[in-house]
Amino acid sequence: MADLKHYDFSFEELCEISELSSLTIIEIVEHGIIEPDGADPENWVFSTQMVAVAKKAYRLQRDLSIGWQGIALAISLLDELEQLKAENQQLRRCLDRFIADSAVLFPNRHTR
Amino acid sequence: MEFKDYYEILGVKPDADSKAIKTAYRKLARKYHPDVSDHHEAEEKFKEVSEAYEVLKDTQKRAEYEEIREYGNYGQGFQPPPGSQSSSHSNEPYQGDFSDFFSTIFGDTAGGKTRDFRSDYAFNQKGQDIETDMPVLLEETLSNCSKTISYSLPQRDNNGQLREVNKTLNVTIPAGVRDGKRIRLKGQGAPGIGDGLNGDLYLRIRLVPHPLFDVEAHNLLIIMPVAPWEAALGAKIIVPALSGKINVSIPANSQTGQRFRIKGKGLPHKHGHGDLFAVLKVVMPTTTDDEIKQHWEQLANKATFDPRADWSN
Repeated sequence: MADLKHYDFSFEELCEISELSSLTIIEIVEHGIIEPDGADPENWVFSTQMVAVAKKAYRLQRDLSIGWQGIALAISLLDELEQLKAENQQLRRCLDRFIADSAVLFPNRHTR
Repeated sequence: MEFKDYYEILGVKPDADSKAIKTAYRKLARKYHPDVSDHHEAEEKFKEVSEAYEVLKDTQKRAEYEEIREYGNYGQGFQPPPGSQSSSHSNEPYQGDFSDFFSTIFGDTAGGKTRDFRSDYAFNQKGQDIETDMPVLLEETLSNCSKTISYSLPQRDNNGQLREVNKTLNVTIPAGVRDGKRIRLKGQGAPGIGDGLNGDLYLRIRLVPHPLFDVEAHNLLIIMPVAPWEAALGAKIIVPALSGKINVSIPANSQTGQRFRIKGKGLPHKHGHGDLFAVLKVVMPTTTDDEIKQHWEQLANKATFDPRADWSN
């Protein structure tokens, strides 16, 4: 089976790929927004998923003028929200197999 | 060209003070930011709101806009009055696109997008990254799978004009991918400027909902409909798995909701496979002939089972 953690990036590579400055990335890591393996920038290892999160954090910070702590909170809440919506959708699909037209009983508006 | 009512866009009155305008902008910006909003036109609305604020927050720009608003006829489309080019200059370049309307009055500020100060400011810029969803069937996750993805790519033609071009790529999806996983395809994004590299393409895996199976982590779930007599007497049920079929024996007096675990018939993961859970659901036939009905009546008379025993007090 293919090794799914195949695509990893070093700190320098992340800067290249994401086009974020090293300072920005350090802020993002220091606020725990992404948590690379490795003890210091020289040894940091980032996954593809982390690239997307870093860019998102930067965009929010730039566009909404929020401090990094606020961004960290926003991102963790947005993540949780996304997960909850996915779970919701999943449960809904399962429920529909048992209850006819379950949306009449549970008109949840929070699905992905 | 359409006249843009910046006051309406921000939801404020034309005599609103700068504080009100700022508050209105902040509310709408966080509501419509594409990273936050589910709204299908979020990006457009966000740009619109940002542009409106860009004008109304600056006293000089606002004044010029006011003049045009008074002067312009927006019944028959907007015509800028002669000599209406702005003389104000922004200190902080706005990092967005402007509508034609804005550019006509205020010109292009800072010549387009600026980025984080890391990139070469002048003429070498990495192309934009593109992110797109890649639908994958559950069956396709069982082994490495070759798929084709089509997406829209901005390309420069011979005149240097940007056009949206349809591009197709072959991609290998590794076995066991989960919903939401991102795959990066280097250099397959928008072309770079000058000597800049191409941007990258990010595929976001979306597992297509299966008509039979529900997914929970690396396990699969299937509802197994059985006849009442099968539940009563026990039976051998042939259950479809993602690939192939499995025999499941259900014991006598099985209940709706009971789970039967079929090891290793779920989705692949790093250390093997998840499981398939068949969940029993007793279903009734919708029609009955007289002979069958008689049997049911006999059963009703003979059996002493009370399904609502919990209710009576």
